[in-house]
Amino acid sequence: MDGPATPSKNKNSDGASKFLLDLPSKGLFSSSVISSNLGGMRVYITDHDTTPPENQLIKTDQVNILIRSLLLKQQQKSGTTSKNAKGAGTNEGSRKRAPERAADGRASAKRAASTTQNGSRQDVLKSQIPENLQSLTVERLRALLKERGLSVKGKKDELIARLRVRGTTTTGSASSSAAAKPLI
Amino acid sequence: MSTYNYVVTAHKPTNVTHSCVGNFTGPQELNLIIAKCTRIEIHLLTPQGLQPMLDVPIYGRIATLELFRPHGETQDLLFIATERYKFCVLQWDADANEVLTRAMGDVSDRIGRPTDNGQIGIIDPDCRLIGLHLYDGLFKVIPFDNKGQLKEAFNIRLEELQVLDIKFLYGCPKPTIVVLYQDNKDARHVKTYEVSLKDKDFVEGPWSQNNLDNGADLLIPVPPPFCGVLIIGEETIVYCSASAFKAIPIRPSITRAYGRVDADGSRYLLGDHSGLLHLLVIAHEKEKVTGLKIELLGETSIASTISYLDNAFVYVGSSYGDSQLIKLNLQPDPKGSYVEVLERYVNLGPIVDFCVVDLERQGQGQVVTCSGAYKDGSLRIVRNGIGINEQASVELQGIKGMWSLRSATDDIYDTFLVVSFISETRILAMNLEDELEETEIEGFCSQVQTLFCHDAIHNQLVQVTSSSVRLVSSSSGELRNEWHAPNDYSINVATANATQVLLATRGGHLVYLEIGDGVLVEKKHAELKYDISCLDINPIGENPNYSNLAAVGMWTDISVKIFSLPDLNLITEEHLGGEIIPRSVLLCAFEGIPYLLCALGDGHLLNFLLNTSTGELTDRKKVSLGTQPITLRTFSSKSTTHVFAASDRPTVIYSSNKKLLYSNVNLKEVSHMCPFNSAAFPDSLAIAKEGELTIGTIDDIQKLHIRSIPLGEHARRICHQEQSRTFAICSLKYNQSSTEDSEMHFIRLLDDQTFDFISTYSLDQFEYGCSILNCSFSDDNNAYYCVGTAYVMPEENEPTKGRILVFMVEDRKLQLVAEKETKGAVYSLNAFNGKLLAAINQKIQLYKWMLRDDGTRELQSECGHHGHILALYVQTRGDFIVVGDLMKSISLLIYKHEEGAIEERARDYNANWMSAVEILDDDIYLGAENNFNLFTVRKNSEGATDEERGRLEVVGEYHLGEFVNRFQHGSLVMRLPDSDVGKIPTIIFGTVNGVIGVIASLPQDQYVFMERLQTNLRKVIKGVGGLSHEQWRSFYSEKKTVDSRNFLDGDLIESFLDLGRSRMEEISKVMSVSVEELMKRVEELTRLH
Repeated sequence: MDGPATPSKNKNSDGASKFLLDLPSKGLFSSSVISSNLGGMRVYITDHDTTPPENQLIKTDQVNILIRSLLLKQQQKSGTTSKNAKGAGTNEGSRKRAPERAADGRASAKRAASTTQNGSRQDVLKSQIPENLQSLTVERLRALLKERGLSVKGKKDELIARLRVRGTTTTGSASSSAAAKPLI
Repeated sequence: MSTYNYVVTAHKPTNVTHSCVGNFTGPQELNLIIAKCTRIEIHLLTPQGLQPMLDVPIYGRIATLELFRPHGETQDLLFIATERYKFCVLQWDADANEVLTRAMGDVSDRIGRPTDNGQIGIIDPDCRLIGLHLYDGLFKVIPFDNKGQLKEAFNIRLEELQVLDIKFLYGCPKPTIVVLYQDNKDARHVKTYEVSLKDKDFVEGPWSQNNLDNGADLLIPVPPPFCGVLIIGEETIVYCSASAFKAIPIRPSITRAYGRVDADGSRYLLGDHSGLLHLLVIAHEKEKVTGLKIELLGETSIASTISYLDNAFVYVGSSYGDSQLIKLNLQPDPKGSYVEVLERYVNLGPIVDFCVVDLERQGQGQVVTCSGAYKDGSLRIVRNGIGINEQASVELQGIKGMWSLRSATDDIYDTFLVVSFISETRILAMNLEDELEETEIEGFCSQVQTLFCHDAIHNQLVQVTSSSVRLVSSSSGELRNEWHAPNDYSINVATANATQVLLATRGGHLVYLEIGDGVLVEKKHAELKYDISCLDINPIGENPNYSNLAAVGMWTDISVKIFSLPDLNLITEEHLGGEIIPRSVLLCAFEGIPYLLCALGDGHLLNFLLNTSTGELTDRKKVSLGTQPITLRTFSSKSTTHVFAASDRPTVIYSSNKKLLYSNVNLKEVSHMCPFNSAAFPDSLAIAKEGELTIGTIDDIQKLHIRSIPLGEHARRICHQEQSRTFAICSLKYNQSSTEDSEMHFIRLLDDQTFDFISTYSLDQFEYGCSILNCSFSDDNNAYYCVGTAYVMPEENEPTKGRILVFMVEDRKLQLVAEKETKGAVYSLNAFNGKLLAAINQKIQLYKWMLRDDGTRELQSECGHHGHILALYVQTRGDFIVVGDLMKSISLLIYKHEEGAIEERARDYNANWMSAVEILDDDIYLGAENNFNLFTVRKNSEGATDEERGRLEVVGEYHLGEFVNRFQHGSLVMRLPDSDVGKIPTIIFGTVNGVIGVIASLPQDQYVFMERLQTNLRKVIKGVGGLSHEQWRSFYSEKKTVDSRNFLDGDLIESFLDLGRSRMEEISKVMSVSVEELMKRVEELTRLH
């Protein structure tokens, strides 16, 4: 244990003492006898469900960094125009992105989720329900439902019905799919 | 066939990699959280010290561990990222006492080169995002929303490729990181970036600093009010912020860990590579930094993590030595150190090498490891057994017997402890202050040796001396009755229970007495042919006070006889065979099954099943427990009966699932034992050993006991030589005292009992000891230590020169008898067909041991085999040689006697970088590789074509999550020939994290059953943080990830026993096997370690 442990060769041998004053204390380790045996360690066995809560299973945005930055710029541009041109402008914008989303189905839902960061845009988007719902793909319908926090289960007709009902009765704020059920 | 393997941890990882302090288990509770690679430990800080709470297994190797508190939370959350790119956020649920998963996810990317300098995981001090640096050139961001929930992660391109450290800065309006990096000219700089969550990109930060100390590799962010960052180099420490730059020179050292002392960040503890602890102080005037000060405080273990706890107490976690709890004293001790080590937490890691020895020749292995590194190097002796927790002890020489007595028949506690010596008897009792003090029982005869004592009915005590039997009132102490032995017939041995006394006198007379209220009645007398050596009438029938049988051990004809009581009729006689007389007999019942135990004078123990009605003895078994006479005594612990066998190797005998089990007791040489259940020492044992009387409690389970032998230098190889009763080690010592660091390498000889250095051979400059072997050669009966070395020259990539040294132990000294120069490093040595097989760089070389004309011996090269990159690990069996290559996995060679040549037979064509190999049986070989996986390969001798026969087929794959340095055949538990587990071959492994594990090759039916159990357990026992067990155990390397096969996770399977009853029933229902059967089968496996 001895050996090189002979510190403070400098003249004032109490060198470190003045720096060791007033070490923080919250009253722990205050007992004069510090016990080494304060009970045993319990080995933890997990038998409850450990899957994370909904939405907290985190994935990485797989879009290439360059493409993402281009998209972001574009979005921001269209976002600023939408504010000026209100409804019509965004409608156009969302239609423009439609083919892209179809091409990259998995990412589309995610991007939809990621757009929720921009609160203002989100509201604008949500109030939009296209007229000709029948012409949209099931995937697109599901994305719309998901944006509104509705259940994405069921046949196409059910999806459309659910969208119509929700679209007319309420706007925005997420609500449970349970509320929607009796309407179907 | 050893295809089916069961992997289980006997000693958990002890290498402390991370630690942090925060309010995890409650807003008012301060916790220390320690990461030990694959486990986390949660401790609670209390006024009395550290209170252990929970040991949580994690299905991953922990890469980063951080506590943080999102806005609005009252307690901290724990962020863990694993090396396999999983992360989770854990929260403590105080109501359910559970660890909840707040979030988890996979942060791997399909493309990207893993960082060289380790993974970095950091959390913004204002909890806006988590930052991860996992791949070169990428910085991953997991943003928080304003409710403290995590959102989808994204990558940001990081221009700096060689990143050394990244930290978040305090007090920035936007989350800002500071990056310490090295450019392509090896110069080091820091740079800051703001993270723009909106643009998902970096924005150039407020400042940067170029051309720092070339050894800078640690950043310490400084909290408000100062903010900024400390950059720790090897020769300077720099404080840097947007407005200030302060630097101080330091004594050259590599800082390994830091711990912040004050919340305002004005003081830090720094731990360096040689274990020195410094205090770094930021001198300031109000909120302006004016300079830095550094002070040496003292020495600790080489720290990998430092956490300031409270009130000058500090936790020092170490990877190279024991972790410590230290106190910083205001005044230095006489050596000038401000550090006081209050506690050491054992750490076996890194286990560089180990050997399995059976020093007591008991059939139970103990492992001697080369543990620790640098100055904290040590040998550790790891041994399985039952521990005695000493409560009190007195020095007392020459104890001949001990008995505990109660002061009234129906008392629950014992009061008196009768201790007998050769010519006197002393009585100890608990006084009012709960101290043991000498007392007297009036009616007892204390001038002579006591042969036996016992409590008797009607509040009486019985004392047997060589001349008489005395019946004494336990309340008043007066003598109530006495039975005198006839003149010339002194009593030799005696025994008693509450109502009966049986004694034997010289000349083979057996006398049976019964105890009444104040009377001793001689009921029966018998004369036997020979003298009697031992007796027992321990009641095992329905009446706990009365025995229907008596067991008698005999001199001369070496037999055990069973007599019926009270008529003293001989009903059974069993000749023991051999020439060793029985020294102690005991009638006892385990789990309702009556046994007769009979201990011999040479340390052997016989056990028989006893039929209580006929007295018949069946099912004779013999085990060796030691070398000295054994004394048997029963005691009860947790209301079950155990037997203590006192001898030079004390053993506890107990029963589980109707099988007798034997466990070593962690004590040396016990002459007598008696249970002593007093009010002050409940459930204790009184133990007489080596001039000492000890009172202590006994562990209810056997566990590993570790003894440390600090060496002050780094032992790298070890082996044991039975003949000379020595160990030999290759070790190296670092000299840091001089201006230049230098290393010295030695071969040292140690006594295998005292572990003292008894002889040393110094190797040349630059010469490293690489391998060591104890062997003997054909035509030569001497035992030799062979040492393989390498000359490691600074300018060479691979050593081109080495030596094989052959030593003999003469007069406890290492004598060099032969040496042979080699053309490379001798990485491995094996005894092979009476010759010496060496692995030298890319070659396998066989040496003969030749006698020269002058009578001296030399190593002569016979044949060799080329074709490896580096043949690092070699094992042999018969004529077969299994080679573990640096990067070419396992290959199988064969030695052909007629041709005198070594040829390659088969190999595994996978590119595994090996860390250890072992031969499981003729056809199956086990390998460990550097991605922490295990695998087995099979020789395919029935292949149809040469090509097929030349390929070792991979049959088993498993992710161990531990870096294995060595496999050895052997076992940590006593392998008794009659037990089922005795037939299961086992291998022990040692790892960098200090894990000692066991790999057992199970029979196929058992494997299939356990595999089903494992599958069902996976559904019930969930991974903490939502991490998947199946993914964790899947074989994982840069090239492939495949599900584990032909390996079972014993740690998961054995946790079945810790489940609640309802969960067990759930599993039992699915498997349609009863819970009892499942428990029995799992318990059997736990006995493998």
